[in-house]
Amino acid sequence: MATKPISDPQAAPVANDKPFYGPQDVAGIDYARDLANPGEFPFTRGIHPEMYRQRTWTMRQFAGFGSAEDTNERFKYLLGQGQTGLSTAFDLPTLMGRDSDDPLSLGEVGKCGVAVSSLDDMRRLFDGIALDQVSTSMTINAPAAILLAFYIAVAEEKGVSPDKLRGTLQNDILKEFHAQNEYVFPPRPSVKLVTDTIEYGTHHMPQWNTVSISGYHIREAGASAAQELAFTLADGMSYVEHALERGLDVDEFSKRLSFFFDVHNDFFEEIAKIRAARRIWAKVMRDKYGAKLERNWWMRCHAQTAGVTLTEQQPTNNVVRVAYQALAAVLAGVQSLHTNSMDETLALPTESAVKLALRTQQIIACETSVTSVADPLGGSWFIENKTNEMEAEANAIFREIDDLGGVIGAIEHGYFRRSIADSAIKQSLAFDSGEAEVVGVNKYVEKDYERIDVLKIGADVEKQQVARLQQLKRDRDAKRHQQSLEALRKAAADDANVMPFLIDAAKADATVGEMMEVMASVFGRYDGGPEW
Amino acid sequence: MTDHPIRILLAKIGLDGHDRGVKVLARSFRDAGFDVIYTGLWQTAQSTMLAAMQEDIDVVGVSLLSAAHLTVMPEVLRHRKELGIENVPVVLGGIVPEDEHHLLYEMGCAAVFNPGASVEGIVEKFKTLAADRKRLSLSEAIAGYESKNNAALGQLITYIQRDQVDGKWTPPAGSAKVFGITGAPGVGKSSLIGKLGKAMCEKGFKVAVVAVDPSSPVHGGALLGDRLRMMWGEPGDNFFIRSLSSGKEYGGLGPHCADVIRALNGYGFDYILVESVGAGQSDVAIRDVVDKTLLVLMPESGDSVQFSKAGIMEIADMFIINKCDLPGADATEGQLKSAVGADRPICRVSTVRNEGIEAAADLILA
Ligand code: B12
Ligand SMILES: Nc1nc2c(ncn2[C@@H]2O[C@H](COP(=O)(O)OP(=O)(O)O)[C@@H](O)[C@H]2O)c(=O)[nH]1
Ligand SMILES: [Mg+2]
Repeated sequence: MATKPISDPQAAPVANDKPFYGPQDVAGIDYARDLANPGEFPFTRGIHPEMYRQRTWTMRQFAGFGSAEDTNERFKYLLGQGQTGLSTAFDLPTLMGRDSDDPLSLGEVGKCGVAVSSLDDMRRLFDGIALDQVSTSMTINAPAAILLAFYIAVAEEKGVSPDKLRGTLQNDILKEFHAQNEYVFPPRPSVKLVTDTIEYGTHHMPQWNTVSISGYHIREAGASAAQELAFTLADGMSYVEHALERGLDVDEFSKRLSFFFDVHNDFFEEIAKIRAARRIWAKVMRDKYGAKLERNWWMRCHAQTAGVTLTEQQPTNNVVRVAYQALAAVLAGVQSLHTNSMDETLALPTESAVKLALRTQQIIACETSVTSVADPLGGSWFIENKTNEMEAEANAIFREIDDLGGVIGAIEHGYFRRSIADSAIKQSLAFDSGEAEVVGVNKYVEKDYERIDVLKIGADVEKQQVARLQQLKRDRDAKRHQQSLEALRKAAADDANVMPFLIDAAKADATVGEMMEVMASVFGRYDGGPEW
Repeated sequence: MTDHPIRILLAKIGLDGHDRGVKVLARSFRDAGFDVIYTGLWQTAQSTMLAAMQEDIDVVGVSLLSAAHLTVMPEVLRHRKELGIENVPVVLGGIVPEDEHHLLYEMGCAAVFNPGASVEGIVEKFKTLAADRKRLSLSEAIAGYESKNNAALGQLITYIQRDQVDGKWTPPAGSAKVFGITGAPGVGKSSLIGKLGKAMCEKGFKVAVVAVDPSSPVHGGALLGDRLRMMWGEPGDNFFIRSLSSGKEYGGLGPHCADVIRALNGYGFDYILVESVGAGQSDVAIRDVVDKTLLVLMPESGDSVQFSKAGIMEIADMFIINKCDLPGADATEGQLKSAVGADRPICRVSTVRNEGIEAAADLILA
């Protein structure tokens, strides 16, 4: 992060653990400066004046399992049930940039998401889906640029040019180092690769979100709400700075940066967190990075209910937890939402469980009337105080990160991992001691609670996928394949933008694992840094 | 036996990166007084069980949230059998559907834990399993050692460490060259040893590592973290790593380190690499147990504080500047040269970039 400090939050005193809040707790707040109407800077109250009166949020259930055909079928089912965007979950081999036939993939193909090793897999994944009609999100990070290349190539085959594509690539490598562990290359070349995609997207894909800067994983790994908020926004600033260093115009690339937050159990704290995120981001983009277009001050975000709060015991209780968390997300004014299924702790969701989760959102949208007014909680003494508190805590954390030399420096010091692990331990101790109460686990425990169905993915998926991939490796044009990989290697070594070379290699049927290997030969592989 | 820490290994196998649970457990086990070895992400069934054998682990805990347990656990148990360590119980935790628990028990898992399991309950279970574990008797371990059985070597080291051999046995003399690898925490000793060990094994040598962890234990337990940095691919019979906790004194070598080295020497290793932080009293201690001392440094911005600290500079026979991918390597090398003169070799490496490893290995092999 750069050195210019972010303006400190409002002067209002931050209250803690009081029985009630009153006017004194918001004394320093200036309405026009700190809140303003929805749709006005600093967007604390929402990025649009009408919010959900104009358009409800995008309901986007994360889906992916088994083979490309299995997931294609689930996609079509979800679209048929009224879902408005697609969200692709990849399996662990794909997430780690390995092919389905890699020895380390054994037993994991198609288990935690869909297996995509080649252009051919991507083709089958989106078979019969009009890519200019739907918005697609892809949860992929280290190999994100490769999966984007596949998507662009498939769209081209369907006659859809990149500028028509709408969707989001998660592509947030920084939080992989902090929390999700799907890094492959060391931090610096990893961020270079992200910057390549930002640059490519800025020039060729005006409707595509190039990075979904994610707090979700940070929080689920154990971070507190304030840590989630601060680490995520710090990551966002780091991407902005890298793009600026690349020579991109802030007003051109920043409109395609989006965010992704967790919505945990502490109802009001979560709402305050998202409101604070909007206010901080707006100030940072306008005042620190000098973005001129108003829409580039917006912190647009996707949210997901907190998987880690769900319990194996009495699983139907999870429906209730998810409903409260989803309501918090809506009251906070998010742009899109995933609601977890009640079988979260058991396996990937069954069709009926995921439908109930989707219905939970639909009920909020259709029946509760909370959509009829923007930021209904705005002006609550408690919420405004809590929003200030979140912002102040985030600013304190930004300073710690700056002191370590910015986000990458802090990664190299193990700062994020250590902070997150410390918070995770605290929470586990609190559950074990009963200080944190969880219904069905350490409170109101039932021995013989009702069990629910569990999705099972057979081993035949892996066999079939491996056979198909090996066939592809035999059948492809070996010379063209070889040349495309050599060109990629050279581009990486020359520090050129690798996107066009990845698209070329994708078309030459180079696989995810092969392209990653070529880039690793230049970028190196990362061993995890000082803090395991 | 109860007054010796229980040794447990926690493993993540495959590409699963969910490590929140395993980290919580690692710290809880340490606080319960166990010696804990966590092998890090992306391990294989084979590397896990080899580690269990070399480290003489009392209970192996595998954490899988990837739904791959029905593929991975049979592999773990197969390797356990092949390595002849069926006396080591294996516990599984993570996302395991209830209707599959019986399959896992039937194949030989000692326990299965799911989300919501209390850490306290898990610790208790590990204590019971460790207490029930049937180890080789001392004479069986000695016999096994003599017939070159690695599992027996692992267990004999534990007897030595616990002072239970007591003059009943002395190892045969060996011809290993023993190197102390010392340097401040974090300079990359473990990472370097992993790479060096690999390079030396590839040249056909048998290499043993004794990694003394500096952690000064608060609760009697320790998190032994060196092994995590040393793992590379599939360690074979030629690469034997043993982690020791330094015991009460920070930076020391721990009890009976010299005897452990003698046992490894007599077993037939060509090279033995001893990692320690080389701080305080162990400066002296390390000199007593090794043939040569190799000091690892890293580029540091600013002055030559790291050189001035130490009597360690005097005892070192050679120097490696690691992390030469970072800025400042030239300056550090310059300062070092002027501090130690030209008679002692200085070698530059970057373990992350795999640069200079060959030259460093040659320095040792020379
Ligand atoms: C947190 C979480 C994440 C975090 C992980 C952060 C981290 N660094 O750990 C994030 C958001 C990054 C994440 C990502 C993904 N996740 Co996830 N995640 C979870 C979640 C919600 C909670 C896991 C958790 O940490 N719980 C808290 C800890 C303290 O508990 P625990 O690990 O369960 O450990 C306890 C017990 O299980 C047991 N235990 C566990 N291990 C061991 C080991 C031993 C030896 C013993 C004795 C006991 C034991 O004791 C512990 C204490 O009680 C679970 C669902 C759930 N609620 O369980 C899904 C879940 C595990 N994830 C899932 C998936 C699919 C993924 C992704 C693959 C999604 C994708 N396609 O992109 C990625 C992969 C990430 C990766 N690199 O592997 C699936 C797995 C499906 C399956 N197995 O069939 C689950 C079940 C959710 C679901 N239903 O879809 N995830
Ligand atoms: N940049 C860089 N980091 C390294 C290198 N070697 C090790 N490290 C990192 O330094 C940290 C400490 O390494 P470790 O081997 O545990 O050090 P030890 O405490 O001396 O044993 C880890 O984060 C390693 O990834 C290197 O050559 N370059
Ligand atoms: Mg070490």
